[in-house]
Amino acid sequence: MWKRGIGLALTAVLAVGTAACGNSSNNGEGSTSPSSPASGTASAPASQAPSGEKKVISYWTDDRHDQEYIKSLIDKFNAENTDNIQVELTVLSENFNQSVDIAFSSNKAPDMLRLKSANTGTFVKKGYLAPIDEYVTDEMKTKFSSLLLEGVNKFDGKLYSLPNSGQTLRLVYNKDLFDKAGIEKPPETLQEMVDDAKKITAAGNSEGAYGFALNFKNPKSAFERSVREILSLSGHQGLGYDFKTAQFDFAPYSQVIEYFKQMWDDGSILPGAETLDIDPMRAQFAAGKIGMYLSFSTEPGVYKDQFPTDIHWGGALAPTIDGKRDGTSEIVSAGTWLGISDKSKNKDAAWQFMAYMYRDEVLTAYHEQGFGISVVPSIAEKAKNPDVPGMEGFLVGDNDSIWPVSPTVTPEGANYGDAFFKYMLSGGDLAKVTADLNARYNDALAKAKEKGEVKAEADPSFDPAKLKTNS
Amino acid sequence: MNYWRRPFAFPKGVDQEMTRWTRLRENSLLLFPSVVLTLALGIYPLIWVLRYMFYDYPGYGEELFVGLDNFRRLLRDAEFWASVRNTFVFAGGKLLITVPLSLILAVILNGKLRGRHFMRAVFFMPTVISTAVISVVFYLIFNSYNGMVNQLLVRMHIIDSPFAWLGPDHAMMTVVIAAAWGAVGNYMLLFIAGLQSIPQDLYESASIDGAGPVQRFWRITIPMLGPVMQIIIMLAIIASLKGYESIMVMTEGGPIGKTEVMYLYLYKLLFPFATSGTPADQQFGYGSAVGFATALIVGAITMIYYWLSRKMNKVF
Repeated sequence: MWKRGIGLALTAVLAVGTAACGNSSNNGEGSTSPSSPASGTASAPASQAPSGEKKVISYWTDDRHDQEYIKSLIDKFNAENTDNIQVELTVLSENFNQSVDIAFSSNKAPDMLRLKSANTGTFVKKGYLAPIDEYVTDEMKTKFSSLLLEGVNKFDGKLYSLPNSGQTLRLVYNKDLFDKAGIEKPPETLQEMVDDAKKITAAGNSEGAYGFALNFKNPKSAFERSVREILSLSGHQGLGYDFKTAQFDFAPYSQVIEYFKQMWDDGSILPGAETLDIDPMRAQFAAGKIGMYLSFSTEPGVYKDQFPTDIHWGGALAPTIDGKRDGTSEIVSAGTWLGISDKSKNKDAAWQFMAYMYRDEVLTAYHEQGFGISVVPSIAEKAKNPDVPGMEGFLVGDNDSIWPVSPTVTPEGANYGDAFFKYMLSGGDLAKVTADLNARYNDALAKAKEKGEVKAEADPSFDPAKLKTNS
Repeated sequence: MNYWRRPFAFPKGVDQEMTRWTRLRENSLLLFPSVVLTLALGIYPLIWVLRYMFYDYPGYGEELFVGLDNFRRLLRDAEFWASVRNTFVFAGGKLLITVPLSLILAVILNGKLRGRHFMRAVFFMPTVISTAVISVVFYLIFNSYNGMVNQLLVRMHIIDSPFAWLGPDHAMMTVVIAAAWGAVGNYMLLFIAGLQSIPQDLYESASIDGAGPVQRFWRITIPMLGPVMQIIIMLAIIASLKGYESIMVMTEGGPIGKTEVMYLYLYKLLFPFATSGTPADQQFGYGSAVGFATALIVGAITMIYYWLSRKMNKVF
């Protein structure tokens, strides 16, 4: 009889456990239980609270580099605000987008989110974000006027976020290796870049130093921090899109790839670069093994904190295809910072915190402490240069500007990063690769337009040279 | 009394009192957890996949019914078919190393070798270690720019310049080695369990009849291990065809797709942001079709193997 008792007891335990599993499985797609945020702070949306009662605002971000500063601002806000609003910061170490998806599908969405250009559009489409038009004051509209852009922070005319800082793109080079190879200044044309890489490799090979590298483990990521910049400064959109025709045209892109392939064939690229992620590549640069690469303005911060280095290095404008700067170096990730969740029950309180964060003194300190380069004109004019070694090469100048947003589409088959990297490594017919990419990307664009997912209208008067006046 | 028809054996009186209804209720209660778990974690996702493979659905927003479009795309998707070919190469390579090696180790460590328990633990260790950790370590060992293997070979003057272990030409071989290293201990243990079920008197009588170790191995061990081996190889085939974790960490399917296997390709369609993609690359609809196709391929190969190996099941 006791056996039967144990059996039934076990069954009961399992049934209860199963019921618990069942609950978490009833939330539609992505129904696994939400992953715990890294910092472990409570992230349940604050309940409807009568005025005077404590309102908890949860803010999720994947920015780690500025978390101490943001935390200090939050502490100050929590202590000073008179409406009993408590902001809780959650820094997610990785899989930010996935965690946000899970949180929204399981009704555990945070009240506020860190928005980046890569995820804002998708979050808006998924209905995660609340428009902030009703909150934004006229003063703010004036302050940010030149930076409120459709497809960046505005979608279908509604505003979802405001800008703070952005990333400039530069050629990062090792001055010691340049000196050793007898090169006086960073390359200004792609041919110079190829020649310099060859010289650096010849001079440094015996010590394991090579002329060039990129994080080719993810070719698309590698090209989006290099080719993008070369193209935009040369007067072409950096992701293969042509604003004049509202079509993808990878012909200019392929011109740059040809030079990259030359460096590969010359043996000027660090061996094993095809397996390099960005951080191992930075570690190699910090160790003095790489002559140059191209990347975002996050690099000075990385070499200050993550990979401290003794080498002498600097940032310079990227080379252009033929030496002429017919466009501007694109400032990326520039139009968004904070956003309010559509599911938040305390949107007013969330906005109160958001307005606090967008005050001049906060934005200025953010720039001056080197967490990001301010793109807000009124801030950038007044603020002092950030105190981060190497940052002087990355500051916004006459040759930098925000570009209009190009449509994002997912084509059938290999993306342009993989397709071009395949050509770099194994050769083939570049014209054919380019034509194939054009066909597949434009096909995907046509389908996305038909479904109303993207808007792309030809602008025959588009002139990249005119972007310079906006900087 | 037929014990198999009832979950418990009760004293005679109780048994007689038990009605058919009580038994049914009890059986249902016992089956309930497994049934619910299977429905929630097995059947529901399956229905989900079977539905969405006919939709254009990026994971949010509008679900657009597209009929067989996803399957037409699958047929012309060169990347997918390349990943299928890579899967066969990866699985074949891994099996060729894993199965014989784990069998040999099992036979050696099943003998009366001194320190065999310790050695078993050592060989089994990789099974306990996280695949991600193993893969990171293998990456550090084999990468071209500062990997230990290259440094050693250069110092020994066997090579002059770094060898591209993870380059386009050799990456597959390297990920196979890493995967096999992680799997050998597991199958070794299963083989040891199989070996220990072989009656010792068979070996004794064979020895009396004058059979040497090699003869005993081929004439007794291998045939007697048949049914166990059939299952172990089947498990190994399925695991090899489905394995992608070590590849994801070491090469992420690269360089230029040379180590892209089916399940990694599928994973990237469903969770692009977990690798190098962005949320915009998510394709649940097409991913479901690919998921269905990969399941069919793995299922078909397993069935073919099971049919081909049916004789292994007949020991006597």
